[in-house]
Amino acid sequence: MDKPHAIIIGAGFTGCALAHDLALRGFSVQVVERGELTSGTSGRTHGLLHSGGRYCVNDQEAAIECIDENILLRKIAKQCIEFNGGLYVALNDEDEAYAEVFAQGAEACHIPIERLNAKRTLELEPAVNPQVLMSFLVPDGAFDPLRLALAFAATAAKNGARFSAYTQVEGLLIDGQRRVVGVNVWDRSSDRRYELRGDIVVNATGAWAGEIAKMAGLHVPVVPTPGVMVAYNCRLIQRVINRLARPGDGDIIIPQRRMMCIGTTSFQVEDIDYIPVFDEQVELMHRSAVELVPGVKNTQERGAWMSARPLVGKLEAGRSMSRTFIAIDHQKTDGVGGLVTITGGKATTCRAMAEKTADTVCDNLGLSIPCQTKHIPLESYRSFYRYQESRA
Amino acid sequence: MKNASAPQNFPRWFDPRRRQMGTWGFILNRITALGLTLYLFLHLLALSQLAQGASAYDNFIALVEHPLLKLGEMLVIAAGLIHGLNGIRIALNSFGIGTRYQRPLFLGLMALALVGIAIFGVKMFFFS
Amino acid sequence: MNKKWNVTYIIRRQKASQEPRDESFTIEVDPDEYVLDGVERIWAFHDRSLTFRHACHHSTCGACAMRVNGVEKLTCITTIRSVTQDGGTLRVEPLRNFPVVSDLVVDMSSMYLRLEDAAFAQVAPLPATGLPYEGDPATEDPHFERLVDCIECGCCISACPIATTTSTYMGPAVLAGIEHAFKQSHDLSLLDMADREDGVWRCHSAFECSAVCPSNVDPGWRIMNLRRMVTGNRVRRFFGLRPQKGNTK
Repeated sequence: MDKPHAIIIGAGFTGCALAHDLALRGFSVQVVERGELTSGTSGRTHGLLHSGGRYCVNDQEAAIECIDENILLRKIAKQCIEFNGGLYVALNDEDEAYAEVFAQGAEACHIPIERLNAKRTLELEPAVNPQVLMSFLVPDGAFDPLRLALAFAATAAKNGARFSAYTQVEGLLIDGQRRVVGVNVWDRSSDRRYELRGDIVVNATGAWAGEIAKMAGLHVPVVPTPGVMVAYNCRLIQRVINRLARPGDGDIIIPQRRMMCIGTTSFQVEDIDYIPVFDEQVELMHRSAVELVPGVKNTQERGAWMSARPLVGKLEAGRSMSRTFIAIDHQKTDGVGGLVTITGGKATTCRAMAEKTADTVCDNLGLSIPCQTKHIPLESYRSFYRYQESRA
Repeated sequence: MKNASAPQNFPRWFDPRRRQMGTWGFILNRITALGLTLYLFLHLLALSQLAQGASAYDNFIALVEHPLLKLGEMLVIAAGLIHGLNGIRIALNSFGIGTRYQRPLFLGLMALALVGIAIFGVKMFFFS
Repeated sequence: MNKKWNVTYIIRRQKASQEPRDESFTIEVDPDEYVLDGVERIWAFHDRSLTFRHACHHSTCGACAMRVNGVEKLTCITTIRSVTQDGGTLRVEPLRNFPVVSDLVVDMSSMYLRLEDAAFAQVAPLPATGLPYEGDPATEDPHFERLVDCIECGCCISACPIATTTSTYMGPAVLAGIEHAFKQSHDLSLLDMADREDGVWRCHSAFECSAVCPSNVDPGWRIMNLRRMVTGNRVRRFFGLRPQKGNTK
């Protein structure tokens, strides 16, 4: 058979990483994205390269994924990662009591941590709340969201993948045997509508995965769960500052360039195409940020924005849901061929999500091709424009 | 595409709307350069009158005494001062001197140009 | 909670091969919202054919630069309050000096590829990221790394009068990138790359790049500093001296 042809819907982290993975496995890949690359949830992440610490108590599977991918990404995507580490700080007795659980969790997940006393913590990060009791040093980092996705896309494009931005999927082409054979798209940049056909269609639309699945009459258990993030115009810390507590609202400050970003909240809305930024949530973020780093009160807001993360599971939505991802072969779950859905997860684990999805795709097509993305450094993100251009 | 960079966009050079002081320096330098170049040709043309004999030259000098042409001469002096002093700013900046203070440097040098223009004006109209 | 404003966005629209036209959308906004929020809302609720670039919404990616009322702005951090008033208008156009792809989207690949040629790294050791005239580098720990200030948004190139007429001009972002890259690598070929007619010598000191830069790059200063280094290096080469290295003050 000729090169198998895959159509990927969505050019977020998952779509770009999957294009890279499938291109390396010898697929002919076409990615369609209704906006700019990463203009949905991916671009709007706060850019935390997770050490896994956040999940090492409640969701160890997610935590292990995080630390493994953290180490991998630092090798293959160094070009857009500020790797300065992070701190989990205990500000009260309750936090300090959590330290033991946290340390056990980190050990179980092989996350390298170092316990610091209050004095040492403040030596490392003088801007942290002076009431700090103790902290853990963890391998957190920060990445530039657009550039991380572009680095994957650049490498994919170098290996032949095509990316069509501003191209919105309006329907799935389904043949008589309940098999998805392509997509109907609307190129919004030229106002043109056309069909694309492929051997497999991958729904990599994250929080929007339910909407695409609905086009085939299917349901996927994804709950779009938006959260607010606020950026401040001054960088008072070098490392990521996390609250040493069970995950809650506004408990991470991520420094990036000359800014600090705080996130996030967790709620549900009906329409995720536009999610308003609620003042009270911004104020909540501000209060939490000041608690972690009191100097924040002397800085100015530089931006405030919402992002709808795709949480998966059949449980009630919110923080108790798993942050890990699901790759669904709709042939197996619904009897609809030619369609795979990938959703959930987080930026840090996008490569692993792509690997699992590409495995599912190969499985669906009866192919057995190993994944190669673990050890191949990504091309420079800017070269995306070279490889895209050379094909145009 | 109309929006792309292209030589025919040059009229935009002279559009200071919504731009900052640096653009005024840029515009002044372009206008004065064009004016001075034009003057150079006029000057050569005028000098060539010398070759036509003494009376032609005297007639020409009489013409130059006309107030309108004196105003023209004023413009030449103004252009020379503005272009020269602005050029000093750019040369200094290019050697890394005062680059961060290009605005006050521009204002100061242009103030100097105004003073120079005023002195020349007074001399030309009242003492000649 | 602020009192809501009614604001009319006048958006420059253009699809492939069409003539550009302006389209108005009057929407209700909170004055402290950002210009990009309004554009996104127009897309979500009024016209799904509107195309615009955006990703991070907090000034780290550089995708959402547009001309707002004739001035280059990073729309994700530009409050509506700062550019219009209640009942007022707000003109949004694509960046200039780049070909329009569609509506507010321009093709900036020329800039990206020139920056790529300069091998300008986005992540650098902390002391090599800022402008040397600010702060005290001695207090900056070289073990830390930092994403550099330039977010490659294209504002400076859109504001530059020379980039308006000369497509071969490298442009402020790229020259600033070369200056910055030289600081990172001390690679003398970077100076040669800039030392040509369409490089560092094409700048005519309008300093509009520095006026519109949303990210503290000060490209005007960097171009002049690069000029100084290029000249110094030429002089040294003329006298057979060793090339300048590392001195970036």
